Amino acid sequence: MRVGPLERGERWLGYAMLAPAAALLGLIVVYPVVRLILTSFRQVDQGSRAGEAPFVGFENYAYALADPRFWGATGNTLLYIVLTVPAALVVGLGLALLANLPFRVKWPVRLGLLLPWALPLVFAGLIFRWFFEYQQGIVNDVLLRLGFEKLQWLSSPGLAFAATSIAIVWKSSSFVALVLLAGLQAIPRELYEAASVDGASAWQRFRSVTLPALRPAIVVALIFRTITAIQTFDIPYAMTGGGPGESTETLAMYIHKTTIDFLDFGYGSALAVLMFLVSAAATSVYLRRISRAEDAR
Amino acid sequence: MIPTRRRMVWLAALIVAGNGFLPVLWILFTSLKTEGELMRQPITYWPQDPTFDNYLRAFADQPLPLFLWNSFVVATLSTLLCVTVSALAAYALTRLRVPGRRIILQAILAVAMFPLIALMVPLFQTMRGLGLLNTWLALILPYAVLSMPVCTLVLASFFQDIPADLENAAMIDGCTRLQTLWRVVVPLAGPGVFTAAILAFVNAWDEFLLALTLASRQSMRTVPVGITLYQGEFAFPWPIISAALIVAIVPVAILIAVFQERVVGGLTAGGVKG
Repeated sequence: MRVGPLERGERWLGYAMLAPAAALLGLIVVYPVVRLILTSFRQVDQGSRAGEAPFVGFENYAYALADPRFWGATGNTLLYIVLTVPAALVVGLGLALLANLPFRVKWPVRLGLLLPWALPLVFAGLIFRWFFEYQQGIVNDVLLRLGFEKLQWLSSPGLAFAATSIAIVWKSSSFVALVLLAGLQAIPRELYEAASVDGASAWQRFRSVTLPALRPAIVVALIFRTITAIQTFDIPYAMTGGGPGESTETLAMYIHKTTIDFLDFGYGSALAVLMFLVSAAATSVYLRRISRAEDAR
Repeated sequence: MIPTRRRMVWLAALIVAGNGFLPVLWILFTSLKTEGELMRQPITYWPQDPTFDNYLRAFADQPLPLFLWNSFVVATLSTLLCVTVSALAAYALTRLRVPGRRIILQAILAVAMFPLIALMVPLFQTMRGLGLLNTWLALILPYAVLSMPVCTLVLASFFQDIPADLENAAMIDGCTRLQTLWRVVVPLAGPGVFTAAILAFVNAWDEFLLALTLASRQSMRTVPVGITLYQGEFAFPWPIISAALIVAIVPVAILIAVFQERVVGGLTAGGVKG
């Protein structure tokens, strides 16, 4: 195809308009990623600077694979994903279905969904830390009123994991609900009417009209949730600091501790590369599932 | 008597609104209680003897206005940068005949979605090397990248909705591409730009990990990091933390309350099309 001068000019304008984005991504992502990978092969700690640090090959990686704390943090991160992603989906779907009812005044419900989304994760962490406080927390107060014993929520490993997971689900389910609500509102009314005429019950309408129509929105919500769940940091940091012991420490928290507290940049970089691999694997599994779903259509 | 269906709708509204508001309301109540009331067992729900002392303490114990100012400056400037860069890219990718634009868009999204935590380590080293640690710029640049995917998607979907005929008409009338962009597209894309800006602002306002690592000096801290400083070595001054939380939540709560429809529209446009 011949390219006229107009098109050529337009092409250059296009590249010029893409240049700022490319420059920003180059400085903030591409260069640091290269640096991350290079640093992960060196032994960079307190005093030494990256340039003169000794090259150690895969030693940092070998150390990680033999480091029980790395495996513990990886296990905790995966457990957070497995627990909180499906839970946020179920809670978010519930909230979206409730929010989709015909309200006369819409703002309280909409703001109720937006507020948890808009809060910083650390705030959610602090709020729930206060809820789960042993003496003055409202959770234990409710337990007492219902005739149960108070629980050591934040100082016993299993309960601390549960408490942090609940906070994560509260914070993240509102985003899921907003995405699913948009999906629900896009379903044509006629579909429900046709199903009703055919004598479908409410449950049947949900199974055969709502869920299939909501599928793309659910996939999007799941991908976003999984990507953020891999990076879980703020809420356990604010609620437990990774404790008791290391029972709620995530990979992100361990990387932060290794580099910023222990100043072991070489090892921290290797951990970050490993974490990126985990995250890339998780996203690609999802991306493949979507493209398969698209092909099937 | 209210019919059952109406009552169900009311109950649904109560559940959804309660889920969002009650935790914050509880923090508000806590912030109004005295230290003595807080020690009482069983705990009180409604503040018995409301006091504003905790708010005074919150401002006295930590430089809360400074934290708010840092957050405001960083979030505003990173939003400006992000929206400008994303708008240029989104326009080029939706309106100009750039070869391989689909692949370029996907590359931008993939790169910009690189996990921040993996970037934290090299960014810390890079910013230290550039002498930018503990400056606003150290946060502004990464925050602009943080919101690039959502802003690019939102803006691309807005540009696509502007009829090409309008632009063509302007060019037939003798406008150049850039003049058309400035006189026709920018005014029409206003709502899209605004939506993208709110999302970018909230993302930047909420970010914690990079703020914790790249701006650790007391005078440079943003609100999410500053809030965690109220915890003492042993005791947690919950009424004071609660007061600080309320002060920090109010500005963003007002922002999203005023622009709620836009925020929802932008979130789902960026989300569903991504």
